[in-house]
Amino acid sequence: MPIETPFSSKRFLLALMLAACSVILLQNNSLSKNSSFLFELACMAAGLLICFLCFIPALMLRKMRGADILRLSTRSPAFIKLPVAVFYACYFVYTALYFLIPYTDMFHSKYYPGVSPCLITVVLLGCCVYAAVKGVNVVTRFGIFLFLFAMLTNILMFGGNLTALELTASSVSWQGNAGDFWQNTRYFLTPAFIAVVFACLNADIRNFRLRQPVCALFFTGLKYAAVLFFIRFAVGAYASRQEYPTFVLSRTAHFDRFAGVESFYLALATMSVFMIISLLLCCVTKAIDREKNLRTVILFTLILLAAYTVSAYLHSAKEILTNPNIFIIFTGIAALLPLSGLIMGRKSNVPTLVHSM
Amino acid sequence: MRCPVRFIRGIITEKRSKLSLVILLKNSVKEIKLNLHTRFADSADLTIREITLKSTSGLTAAVITMEGLVDKEQLAQSVLNPLMVYDFGSMPPQKAAETIQNAVAAAADLLTFTTVDELVTYITSGFAVLVVDGAEIMLAAGTQGYAFRSVSEPESEVVQRGSREGFSEPLRVNMSLLRRRMKSPELVFEQLTVGSESQTQLMLCYIQSKVSGQLLETLRSRLNECRLETVLGAGYLSDYLEDKNTSRLFSGVGISERPDTVCGKLTEGRIAIIVDGTPAVLIVPRLFVEEFQGVDDYSNRTYYATFIRLLKYLSFFIAVFLPGLYVALAQFHPEYIPSFILIKTAEALSQTPLPVTMEVLMMTLVYEIMKEAGLRIPKSLAHAVSIVGALVIGESAVTAGIISSSTLMVVATAAICSYVTASLYPPIMALRLVFIVVGGLAGLWGIVLATAVVIISLCSKTSLGVPYMSSLSPFSLRRMRDVFLRVSWKALGKHTIRVQKFPETEVDHAH
Repeated sequence: MPIETPFSSKRFLLALMLAACSVILLQNNSLSKNSSFLFELACMAAGLLICFLCFIPALMLRKMRGADILRLSTRSPAFIKLPVAVFYACYFVYTALYFLIPYTDMFHSKYYPGVSPCLITVVLLGCCVYAAVKGVNVVTRFGIFLFLFAMLTNILMFGGNLTALELTASSVSWQGNAGDFWQNTRYFLTPAFIAVVFACLNADIRNFRLRQPVCALFFTGLKYAAVLFFIRFAVGAYASRQEYPTFVLSRTAHFDRFAGVESFYLALATMSVFMIISLLLCCVTKAIDREKNLRTVILFTLILLAAYTVSAYLHSAKEILTNPNIFIIFTGIAALLPLSGLIMGRKSNVPTLVHSM
Repeated sequence: MRCPVRFIRGIITEKRSKLSLVILLKNSVKEIKLNLHTRFADSADLTIREITLKSTSGLTAAVITMEGLVDKEQLAQSVLNPLMVYDFGSMPPQKAAETIQNAVAAAADLLTFTTVDELVTYITSGFAVLVVDGAEIMLAAGTQGYAFRSVSEPESEVVQRGSREGFSEPLRVNMSLLRRRMKSPELVFEQLTVGSESQTQLMLCYIQSKVSGQLLETLRSRLNECRLETVLGAGYLSDYLEDKNTSRLFSGVGISERPDTVCGKLTEGRIAIIVDGTPAVLIVPRLFVEEFQGVDDYSNRTYYATFIRLLKYLSFFIAVFLPGLYVALAQFHPEYIPSFILIKTAEALSQTPLPVTMEVLMMTLVYEIMKEAGLRIPKSLAHAVSIVGALVIGESAVTAGIISSSTLMVVATAAICSYVTASLYPPIMALRLVFIVVGGLAGLWGIVLATAVVIISLCSKTSLGVPYMSSLSPFSLRRMRDVFLRVSWKALGKHTIRVQKFPETEVDHAH
C-alpha cells in the first residue's frame, strides 16, 4: 500500500532531476555534426529553458487552485474527468515506452545479445509494478540511493576520461546555423517530461519552493554539459560514429589498468529506467483510480508489455513510439493542459497544500 | 523497583477486568482444596498444608503454595511460626483472618483477596496463600523464592568498555537493572499479560515525558491483539509488533540483552518490552541505521568509533553482495575482473567440475550447516568439528579439485563479514542466497534489479509508523552525526533525538 504521508518536495524534485539526467544515458547521438561545443551549449540552455516553461502551467495551477491537474480533474464533471484521465494515461504509457525501448535496445545490443528483449522487459516491468504499488513517496526515497550511485558513476565516468582530454583552440569556436539550432534544441527538450510528472503529482508534496525545479533543470544542464564536453574532447570523433555516446564514454573510462566503468553505467541506466517507469506507473494510477492502485498498475503494465511486444515485431510501431517529434508535441500538450484547470477548477481545500507555498 | 505486592495486584486487577465470571468463595478449606485439586488435576507441585490454630473455637487454616516457587525458610519464619504461636482465643474466623493480616504474619507483602482465580494467580506467582476456614477473605504472603540465573554478561552483545551486566530471566530483576540506571520518576513500567494459557507477564517500559502517546497506544493495541496460548519468549511477540503490509525481511523490532542499551533507546522516546522468563528485551521502533550502532561506539574515541561504523557498513555490503557479484562476474562478465586476478580465478574455476553458481551456493549452504552444528554441539566436540570443517571441507575439497580456492575465499570472507553486524544475520543470509541465484541467472543486471527491489522494500518499511530507513531516506542531515559518523558527545548532546520526530513519521509528537 502506498504511504500517503505528504513528503518532501526536495526529494521529489531530486527524483525528477535523476529522471531527467537518466535521459542522457539512453539518448542516441542525434546532435548536428556541424555544430561546435559552444553552440551545443547554447542549444542546451534554450532546450532547458523551454523545459522550465513547461513547469509554469503546473506551478500556476498549484499556486492559484492549490491542486495538481489530476486532483482537480477528479472533482470535475465526468465529461472533463474522463478525457483528462485517458489523455494522461496514454501520455504516461507512451513516455514509459519511449524510454523502455531504447533501454532494452541498448541492453540487448551492448550487453546480452543472446537474451530476448521481451524477457528483459517482463522482468523489469515486474519490478516496476512492485515499486509503483508502494507509491510515489517510496519511489522518491529510492531516489536518494540512486542519487548516491549516480554520483559515484559520474565520478568514475568523467574521472576515468580525464587523461584522454584534448583541448584545442577550436574548442571555443562558434559554429552552427538555424537548422542545427532546432535539431539540437529538440535533443535537449526530452527532459521536459518531468514537468508533466510534476504537474500530476505535486499535490502530495510539502515545502515546495520555486527554486527547486530551477535547480533540478540546472543540474540536469550541468550533467548534459559534462557529457557533451567529455564526448567531444575525450572520446572525439569515435563517439559520433557510435550509438549511445554515454555508453561509449563509460567504456573508454579507465584508471590505469582498471576499466569496466560500463558496468556502473549499466547499473545506473537500469535503476534510472526502473525509477522512471515506476514514477510513470504511479502517475497512471493517480490519473485513473486512486483507490485500487494494484489493479490499475497491473493493467497498465500489461498494456505496456503488449505495446512493447508489438513494437518489437512491427518496426513502424517502434518508429512511432520512439519518435522525438511526437514525444515533444505530446509532452507540450500534457504540460499546457493544467492551464485549462485555471479556467475551470475551484480552489482546493486539500490540507497538504495549505503550508506548501 | 515496583513493589511486588502492587505488581501482583496489577495482574489481579487486570485479570478481574478480563474475567466474565468471578467465582465467589465461601472459604471453606475443604471446598477450596477440592477446587484446586480439580483445577490442577492433582498436580504434584500443588502443596496444601492444613493447620489447626491455637484457639478455643478450634479454628483451622490452610497454607497453599506451589512447590519450588516459594522460599520455605521465609515461609516458616514469616507465616507459619507466628501463626502457630499466636493465641486466637475465641475469635470468629473473619476476625482471625484480619488479625493475621494486621498483627500476626511477618511477611513484607501481604494481600487480601476473595476469589479462586486470584488464588491461582497468586500461588503460581510464588505467593503463599493462607485460607482461614470460614473467613470471607484470603491472604497472600510474598514469599517468592525460586532459582534463577544470576546477572551476567550477555554473550551476544559483548563490549570492550562499559557495563558487564546483562538481563536475566526474572521480570523483576530486569526491571531493577533498568531502574538502577534510570532513577528518574518519569521511567514507567506498565504491566500487561499475554498468552491465554501461560499468562506471561510483560512490562512496557518507557519514559513518560519522551514517549509518543500514539506510539504507546498503538503498541498496547497490538499486544492486546496477541491471541497466543503460550508466550515463552520475546520472539513470540515480534510478529505482532511489526507494521502491517511491510516487508518482514528486516525486523522492525529490536532486541537487546543489555540494560544500558535499552536505557539509551528509552531516552530517544522508544518503548521497551520486558517479557518474563527471557533475557531478551524488545525495543520498538527499530531503524536500519541502529543495526550499525554499538555500545562501544559511544565509549571509544570519535575517529575510531566512526572508523568502526564505516567498517560495519562495508562488511554488510560485502556479506550481502560479494558472493553474488563473484558469480555474476565469473559467469557473465569476466572482462570486468582485473587481468591479474582473472587469470588465477579462471585457472582455478576451470579445474572444478561444478559451475561457479552451484559451487558458491553449495559452499554457502555447507557453511550454514556447519554454523548450525557448531552452535548446538557440546563444547567438548567443538574443537574436533572445527578441525573437520577447516581441513576436510576447506583444504581437502580444494586439493581434490571439487571447489576452487577463490570460491572458498569469497564464501569465507562473506561469512566473516556477516558477523560484524550479527543482528542482521538472518536478512544477510537470505539476501546473499538470493543474490547468488540472481547473479547466476541474470548476471550484474539481475543483481542491480534485485538491489532496486530490496531498496524499495526497505524504503517502504515502517516500524510502528516510523520509516525504517529514517535518517538515510527520508534523509535528515542533522541525524547524520550518528549514522555514518559518530560525532563527539558535546555535539551529540546539543540536540535530543525523539523517534516520533523523525521525518514522515506517522505518529503524533506529543506525549
